[in-house]
Amino acid sequence: MSYDTLVVGAGLAGLTTALRLTEQGQKVVIVARGVGATHLAPATVDVLGYLGEERVDSPASALTTLLTDVPGHPYGRVSRQQIGASLEWFCRRLERLGYAGGLDHNGLFPTAIGVARPSALAPRTMLGGDLRDGGRFLFVGLRGFKDFHPSLLADNLAHARLPAPVTARALELEPPAERRGDLSGRLLARRFDSGELTDWLVRALQGRVEAEERVGLPPVLGLRRADETLADLENRLERHVFEVPTLPPSIPGMRLYDTLTAALRKAGARLVINAAVVGAQAHDGQIESVQVASAATTMSYRTHSVVLASGGFASGGLTLDSRGAARETVFDLPVAGVPEDGATRFVAGYFDAQPLSRAGVAVDDLLRPTDRDGSPVYRNLHAAGAILAGAVPWKEKSGTGISVATGYAAADAILAPSAVGVSGSIG
Amino acid sequence: MSSLEADVLVIGGGSTGAGVARDAALRGFTTILVERRDLVDGTTGRFHGLLHSGGRYAVKDPSAAVECIAENRILRRVAADCLEDTGGLFVATPWDDPDYGDLFVKGCEATGVPAEEIPVAEALRREPRLNAEIRRAFVVPDAALDPWKLVWGCARSAEQHGARILPYHRVLDLEVVDQRVLGALVRDEHSGEEFRIHSKVVVNAAGAWAGQIATLAGCVVNVRAGMGVMIAMNHRIVNSAVNRLKFPADGDILLPLRTACVIGTTDVFVPDPDDTEIGRDAVDLLLDEGEKLVPGFREARALHAWAGVRPLFEDTRDVAETRDVTRSHALLDHMAREGVAGFVTITGGKTTTFRLMAEVAVDAVCRQLGVERRCTTAEEPLPGSESHTLYGLDTRLAAREPVPQSEEIICECELITRSRLEQTIKRRATTNLDDIRRLLRLAMGPCQGGFCIYRATGILHHGDRVDHTEANRALVSFLEERWKGLHPILHGDQLRQARLDDWIFQGILDVEHLPA
Repeated sequence: MSYDTLVVGAGLAGLTTALRLTEQGQKVVIVARGVGATHLAPATVDVLGYLGEERVDSPASALTTLLTDVPGHPYGRVSRQQIGASLEWFCRRLERLGYAGGLDHNGLFPTAIGVARPSALAPRTMLGGDLRDGGRFLFVGLRGFKDFHPSLLADNLAHARLPAPVTARALELEPPAERRGDLSGRLLARRFDSGELTDWLVRALQGRVEAEERVGLPPVLGLRRADETLADLENRLERHVFEVPTLPPSIPGMRLYDTLTAALRKAGARLVINAAVVGAQAHDGQIESVQVASAATTMSYRTHSVVLASGGFASGGLTLDSRGAARETVFDLPVAGVPEDGATRFVAGYFDAQPLSRAGVAVDDLLRPTDRDGSPVYRNLHAAGAILAGAVPWKEKSGTGISVATGYAAADAILAPSAVGVSGSIG
Repeated sequence: MSSLEADVLVIGGGSTGAGVARDAALRGFTTILVERRDLVDGTTGRFHGLLHSGGRYAVKDPSAAVECIAENRILRRVAADCLEDTGGLFVATPWDDPDYGDLFVKGCEATGVPAEEIPVAEALRREPRLNAEIRRAFVVPDAALDPWKLVWGCARSAEQHGARILPYHRVLDLEVVDQRVLGALVRDEHSGEEFRIHSKVVVNAAGAWAGQIATLAGCVVNVRAGMGVMIAMNHRIVNSAVNRLKFPADGDILLPLRTACVIGTTDVFVPDPDDTEIGRDAVDLLLDEGEKLVPGFREARALHAWAGVRPLFEDTRDVAETRDVTRSHALLDHMAREGVAGFVTITGGKTTTFRLMAEVAVDAVCRQLGVERRCTTAEEPLPGSESHTLYGLDTRLAAREPVPQSEEIICECELITRSRLEQTIKRRATTNLDDIRRLLRLAMGPCQGGFCIYRATGILHHGDRVDHTEANRALVSFLEERWKGLHPILHGDQLRQARLDDWIFQGILDVEHLPA
């Protein structure tokens, strides 16, 4: 089998690269051990939410400061135009999910514990929760769904530092159920898809939502037709309704994954899930073929380019052994940002800066992993997403933004390597 | 200032203190126990969990071995629900002195510790992950002990017999008049209220902190704090307690504990028993020793590390002067030692012999009070152990299986239901999730609270009693406390888990920016 590009990993970065390459006419295969971090993350696109302690209003202007403070940051390897273009492309390509926003201003969306969290883009089901203009909010919990605690959410939000006044209160409803055990997000999503819970929820909220109140719900409005359910709820309740992201598994993230993979399949890309890259042959600094092991067999795939989007420590793209040595798990690439041998990898304060947190693969301006002296390890190997060195995405609130921007830029680097000599062009 | 009165005031809420309080209450003394933090928050809650057969001490310290096997047999009856009968093995690895095995046989014979040699092939059949190069193997009656159940069982039994158990009550001073201790000034750490407790005898069961308490009465107790590090590993890598067949040393015990197993321990003197930072060298030592017992151990998934401080009593006086000092524990009657009446210290020792330590301490109380009352703790079962049925690995699951989906499971790792959590929060009237953890094992599984702690915080806040600031503080301090046991051992799959948890708490929920 022969491909133009083989993408390792089916998270947001890998899917973005693969779709962008496929729609430009490339023959693409994705090889992944399983689904990626889409199933864990809220499905917002977070470009940059925090600069140190400072909450970022405009990622566009904050990026300049970020790259001055953190020269090795992944955003330093893509151009400002590429970041902007990647977000526009993402909104256009995922029109069905109704993403809105942009680089100029972050929205502020409540988390399940009631913190206002900055995001550049949010899907339609979350847009109603934007806190920037203040207002009155009602958060509704569903008894049996243990990953959403509306009274704590509302209480914290009412005390949050926000640009405009917010009032928040909570209500807990008991959905009809045959038993009193756990109601999982997937189960609830299926029952919203069937319309059963939509009718129940409208009846249960009748007369209990005050004027001008927006209604925040757990992120379980459906896997197949959440948008219709949302529109239906908003019409019948005559209020804005929105989802509030919470713990994994993320139903909104599954929608994102389903939408992206459906688009990929439709465009002719191939997805090989539950398979692992176990080896590669290179000649003259170029990867020529890659060995892929699945349950039954190991096969060789010939490819012109490879994009490594296997994720960071959380996804298994990187590992750390008991002696503190970090390893990139697919191609055994050098890992940058690891403290010297014997130096501490973690410090005792949970919220303190952890020495290992920026570890990852260092790349050149074509997003190609580099060795210690800065030259590319393979001329046709690119990397994107959480495997890149230099970011602390869970603190910066930059994870999905890095994935979309570098996934998009890796495709650019493959499609027109000469056109993207981007060094330093971000400032 | 209000005050309380009791015959016996016990200082310290570990196994020794709780054992003393129970023993005293069973003998009909009015009893109060005070503990500066929560029960089982000190040494008892931070040991490996091995109920010794005595085999470990058979050569080095025969009197300790005799005590261990006697107490082992007693606790199997009276504290059955706190014990899993894992059995134990002593195995000689290629790194261990081959001559020690014969010494061990003689030592066990002399001390009455039942030790049966089995063929190596049989040992490997029982424990297939053990190093196939082991040379000898002996079976001993070790068991796994749940320290939280044990201490809370003692405390509840004491309460049933009229005692008052006061966690989060710190002793500020002892009241000494004319060479007699009349009680203590204590502070309720939750309310800040200070009050006096008047007693006829104060029992200092503060373990590694016993020297600090003794000073308050003008007495000297030299207790050195020997810090020991332990690591909990995911899965039951072994199903019985595995000991190295050699002179006791660091990292020579690997013990199954419920669904995990624990390797221990190290031994380093620390100047301050409250300062127990875990160094990478201790972790490396334990992983290396584990590798000798079980090949692949180093890279297996470590869940959590913790450190406890052994109270190591060192008498500055001639041993003949002190009463009842054995090498396994120290009972110090300060009347005999310093002429201070109404004050007894019980320290040293080990959790396996906690009941015996309590017995000798309350015997001393009887002598001080000039009464004779018989100890019954060797016969009287703890609450929950009346049927003398030992706890089984399957006990908890078996209890849930008939009704698996009757209500929400808040902590899936440890099978904790919503109602159980709600009842415990209400009963303890606490906002400290660590207190709940110690009682229910909340967040002690592989994800270390990644999923259940947001839920538990929401449930804590759900009632009217706890506002958002208290709930947030509970969550944040739980995460900070948890990290202390995580960062020293993070590698492999547990780093992957920790990174997921970073995403959950810092990325998705953004707890770093909760309102103050």
